[in-house]
Amino acid sequence: MSYIWVHEDAMRLDHPVFQAAGGSAQPVFIWDTQEHDKRGYSFKRRVFIYESAQALNIPIYAGEPHEVLSALSDGSVLYAADTPDPYIQQILAELGRYQDVVKIGTEDLSHIPANADMGRFFRFWNKAKKSALTASWEKDEAGHIIRTERHRS
Amino acid sequence: MVNLLDKQRVESTQPFTVALLEQSGREAVFKRVRELSPNLPASDRAVGELKGGRGGAEQCLDAIDPVKYGSSRNHLDGAVTQLSPYIRHGVISMGEVRDRALKLSTPKQAEKFIQQLLWREYWQRIYTAHPERIWQDVEAYKTGFSPEDYADNLPRDILEGRTGVGCIDGFIAQLLGTGYLHNHARLYLAGYICHWRRVKWQAGAQWFLAHLLDGDPASNNLSWQWVASTFSHKPYYFNLENVDKFSGFNVDTRPETNAPLAGSYETLFARLFPNLEPSR
Repeated sequence: MSYIWVHEDAMRLDHPVFQAAGGSAQPVFIWDTQEHDKRGYSFKRRVFIYESAQALNIPIYAGEPHEVLSALSDGSVLYAADTPDPYIQQILAELGRYQDVVKIGTEDLSHIPANADMGRFFRFWNKAKKSALTASWEKDEAGHIIRTERHRS
Repeated sequence: MVNLLDKQRVESTQPFTVALLEQSGREAVFKRVRELSPNLPASDRAVGELKGGRGGAEQCLDAIDPVKYGSSRNHLDGAVTQLSPYIRHGVISMGEVRDRALKLSTPKQAEKFIQQLLWREYWQRIYTAHPERIWQDVEAYKTGFSPEDYADNLPRDILEGRTGVGCIDGFIAQLLGTGYLHNHARLYLAGYICHWRRVKWQAGAQWFLAHLLDGDPASNNLSWQWVASTFSHKPYYFNLENVDKFSGFNVDTRPETNAPLAGSYETLFARLFPNLEPSR
């Protein structure tokens, strides 16, 4: 059985990682006290995260994610939402030495040239504005704008 | 050791008992989180009003008003959404939020609202491309000071919200008590810490990450760098008149309790950045 690691940067069930993993994959959340302590999270932050995890109605485990995921997946394919978080990236990289790890990103709001100037926000905004202000239903799967007529529900 | 915590399904409830059960449900969560967090000080007991999970996100989403947001977002009592903790933890996608805004208003009307979403995307793109920038100065300070001139740690009076500056202590109380601060209040507090107290932005950023329900390394830390001037072309600072203009009636903006913030921008600039040529 393949698994989906639902981590603290992507706590929803309609994330594209679910479609990629398929309906038979088992999603799990891991409560990581050690990392919360390391990050200095207050009680209120932990409560919010716990409530968000609980609302997913998926199994929640406590422990170090690397250890939990190794024990659960036992060499099977592991899926996870992609994230820039170095801690999560490190865990996925370590697991990837022994099993297939598939990281799935989400579509950006905006589409900008690869060489766009990111030095200041408003330079980015000027490039990103048109695509960002276009709703998903007006774009194709690649994010390209397919029509300009607006649809209202 | 692997420990299965919770496979319990959400209980169905009759409408008249929902509020009571939700309250008791939160108390059960508080107890469980406490058990799971043995190293947390017993004194750390504050919880936010926002409840984690999709249901809370949908309540916030149903209440958005992109047009009103555009005209009032800088005011501390403006029509802000409180969606940020849900977006930060991926409980709801930014695409869903953007699409809802565009169902409620025209792209032009929703521009300020969506621009704020794009700030997050901008910070995330930088985080992805340059993870080292989250804790390192992106650029040099433009304050006339070097990093060595700034304290490494937050003073106790800031940590405890006892600075003696009325509005600042109010913002700290809200941060510690609820895990939420309006973006403008964050800028005021960050500006005070960096420029009035001359503390390294990293210390303030770490403190915010501990408490803000939406604390995100990219949005939070790079915004701190924007305030500090290590990721902007000038330091962000403000005066009491500005706080008063945007704060409504719930913030203490009396001159007698906010003396360090009072004065013109020129006066404050000369006081805060004495090594720079006068400007602004």
